[in-house]
Amino acid sequence: MSIKLELQNVTYYYGKGTAFEVKALDNVSFAVKERSITGLIGHTGSGKSTLAQLFNGLEKPTEGKVLLDGADIWDKKYKGGRLCFRVGLVMQYPEYQLFEETVFNDIAFGPRNKGMSEDEVKQLVMDAVSFVGMTPEILEQSPFDLSGGQKRRVAIAGIMAMQPEVLVLDEPAAGLDPAGRADIFAGIKRYRDTTGASVIIISHSMEDMAEYCDDVIVMHKGKVMLTGPKDSVFADSDKLVAAGLDIPQITRVMRLLKENGLDVDASVCTKDQAVAELIRAFKLK
Amino acid sequence: MAEFIEIKNLHFSYGKEESKQQDDVLCGVDLTVRKGEYVAILGRNGSGKSTLAKLLNLVIDDLENASGEILVDGVNILSDDMTEDMAFELRKKVGMVFQNPDNQLVATVVEEDVAFGPENLGLDPKEIRRRVDEALDTVGMSEFAKREPHRLSGGQKQRVAIAGVIAMMPDCIIFDESTAMLDPVGRKDIVATMEKLNREHGITVLTITHYMEEAVRADRVVVLNHGKIAIEGTPEQVFSDAGALRAAGLELPQCAQLIEELIKSGMSIKECGITPEDCARIILLAGGATCQ
Amino acid sequence: MKNIALGQYYPARSPLHRMDPRIKLIIAVLYIVAAFLCKNLLGFALLAASVVLLVILSRVPLKTVLGSLKMVVFILVLTVAINIFLTKEEGAEPLWSFWIFEVYTKGLYSALFIALRILSMIIGTCMLLTYTTTPIALTDALERLLSPLRHLKLPVHEFSMMMSIALRFIPTIMEEAEKIMAAQKARGAGFTEGNLIKRIKSLIPILIPLFASVFRRAFELATAMTCRCYRGGDGRTRMTTMRMHAMDIIVLIVSVAALAGIVSCNYWNIGYTL
Repeated sequence: MSIKLELQNVTYYYGKGTAFEVKALDNVSFAVKERSITGLIGHTGSGKSTLAQLFNGLEKPTEGKVLLDGADIWDKKYKGGRLCFRVGLVMQYPEYQLFEETVFNDIAFGPRNKGMSEDEVKQLVMDAVSFVGMTPEILEQSPFDLSGGQKRRVAIAGIMAMQPEVLVLDEPAAGLDPAGRADIFAGIKRYRDTTGASVIIISHSMEDMAEYCDDVIVMHKGKVMLTGPKDSVFADSDKLVAAGLDIPQITRVMRLLKENGLDVDASVCTKDQAVAELIRAFKLK
Repeated sequence: MAEFIEIKNLHFSYGKEESKQQDDVLCGVDLTVRKGEYVAILGRNGSGKSTLAKLLNLVIDDLENASGEILVDGVNILSDDMTEDMAFELRKKVGMVFQNPDNQLVATVVEEDVAFGPENLGLDPKEIRRRVDEALDTVGMSEFAKREPHRLSGGQKQRVAIAGVIAMMPDCIIFDESTAMLDPVGRKDIVATMEKLNREHGITVLTITHYMEEAVRADRVVVLNHGKIAIEGTPEQVFSDAGALRAAGLELPQCAQLIEELIKSGMSIKECGITPEDCARIILLAGGATCQ
Repeated sequence: MKNIALGQYYPARSPLHRMDPRIKLIIAVLYIVAAFLCKNLLGFALLAASVVLLVILSRVPLKTVLGSLKMVVFILVLTVAINIFLTKEEGAEPLWSFWIFEVYTKGLYSALFIALRILSMIIGTCMLLTYTTTPIALTDALERLLSPLRHLKLPVHEFSMMMSIALRFIPTIMEEAEKIMAAQKARGAGFTEGNLIKRIKSLIPILIPLFASVFRRAFELATAMTCRCYRGGDGRTRMTTMRMHAMDIIVLIVSVAALAGIVSCNYWNIGYTL
């Protein structure tokens, strides 16, 4: 698979030159593949949220390059069009940015800014609503009358309606109950499968990462600690534990089993993999 | 242990009498919490769990729509004789910690904020000082006493909010989704603090959440669905009833799901493991039995 | 944005920092009165000396003090110029004249005095109040000083509570505004293009969510305050009691004496008098 988005030796300072100067990112390099779902993990303050704003050009790296389809987005000769429409960013608690009188108008805000015709806008809104698993009846309601989980989905639809080639989501399921979380992740997967976009999910939840991502990037203190396909990253769970990061609960169980002499693969991180592995180990059936 | 909170046939709905819809938020809740107990109330969004919490402190719109009884320390707080002074006494006994840490801190300095409650109680300045220092120590925030709250992390802010409640020396603290906006580190901190308050300080703890993992350490788990109690029991009992949990819109902790799958695959497991440690122990035990 | 400084509080341990904020407030008022009453050279000399004393006592670096004057330089230059060029002295020879401008001795003095008056007022009150007293201590001091007005049914406590909540939430809401702005930018919103009406319209996607959020915060805060047994100022005590120390009394007496000195200079007519 070819590379969609790439960071090369990116360093970023907050408040450069002031008394409050903080080095948020330190020589960060990684690549996000086309059509992949990549998880970005790390503690609060590890630089994850800063990365989100670098991806779509809201912030400029102090040093280093951000490449989209191989083109440097901060190069004077960059001709890729407005970045926010190519790299869509869903910020934390996006429901707080809803402002229109109807759900339709709110979702249409992005496409209209993109300069689409009303017919196109209508189609994009319909598509976005179906990505997040909602029905068109909701379009005429006020976004302020919806439940928390519904508002969240409408806000995400607002970004999906711009049909970005890269969709970045910062803690998309934070604070939602299990059903709400499942809805959100199903919507993200549907968007990737239909449009072929690359998706980057920023999250604290190792379980969600293990479940939904193809690749994982682990950030620690402004640096990339681990990167690669999720199995290889979770196989390095010693490193994660040493850095004080969580590992998926399933991986923890498997590690404990291995420590107790059971011959299992301790890098397993999803429930289905674990069940298969244990059936093999115990020679069930 | 004596009953501290007794809820009898509690009904509640929002909105005016005439426009009252059929869907009550709470429809016939019966619940008893004993002094010193640690109870987790679980439920999906919209199950009525937060409404229940707010009713316990009489901080809710349309209070007149509530019917049934809520006895707190023997006083029916829903009775018509309830005065403002009695509500004040109630809030002294039952403290609340909310979801958004930002929206419950009043002062620009941490210790001033912790002092806010005791100041409202009209205590002597020296006594307030003592309580503030003690409360900050209990939540491990003493070194931040002079800091500005907006420069703290979410978990730290929430610990300050808890200190503000402890300083009022309540018998019971209700945590209304107090971990929902925190990162895993902050969440663990707050859950550990809840447990400490219950075990070491004897405070009755009522925690309202949809994170299964946080209910594991509770004495008792109550699952709310559509305004009714759907399941009630020890964490082990509740988490071994996967069907009932799913019917209530919740999901088992991952470890319990793993065991559920293994049982389906033919392993003979009778226990329910919620933490990775329990889960691994149970699997090893059952695996040994199967291999023999 | 988390680092915005409210006011110009300069954290340090100095005699001025330790003073009772109520006394500082009173002295600041006396100080302004003194600056206005000054009429002759000796009075201004006393005033200038007290400014220097305050700066030394506050332990705020001179660079910081001068830096804060940048904002008033324009006003200062303007008033000085007006005084130099527009003051006419009947029957006296102009010192210098050019076109319609004539400069007299009196003009020079009045320019000097006005400059000293503005500078000492600003530096003096900054030293006493903003640099050495936190905004919250100031609101607190104001509440306590004005508390007798309670008996006239003036909402002194409520006003001070509003002030301190505002101080508490300004950084939070600024941060929120920034977040909402970034979120709408990510949806392609532009805030700097087009004519005035278009620009005002482009603020709607920021203002509506911001207002919604402020109201939500206000409701949640009110609920949280009720749960923490808040019911207004009646029956409420405070953890920090403001206590006057011997130092405060001494400083107060010295200040009153200085004010009296400055006022009496006016009668003795020492030095140049306006």
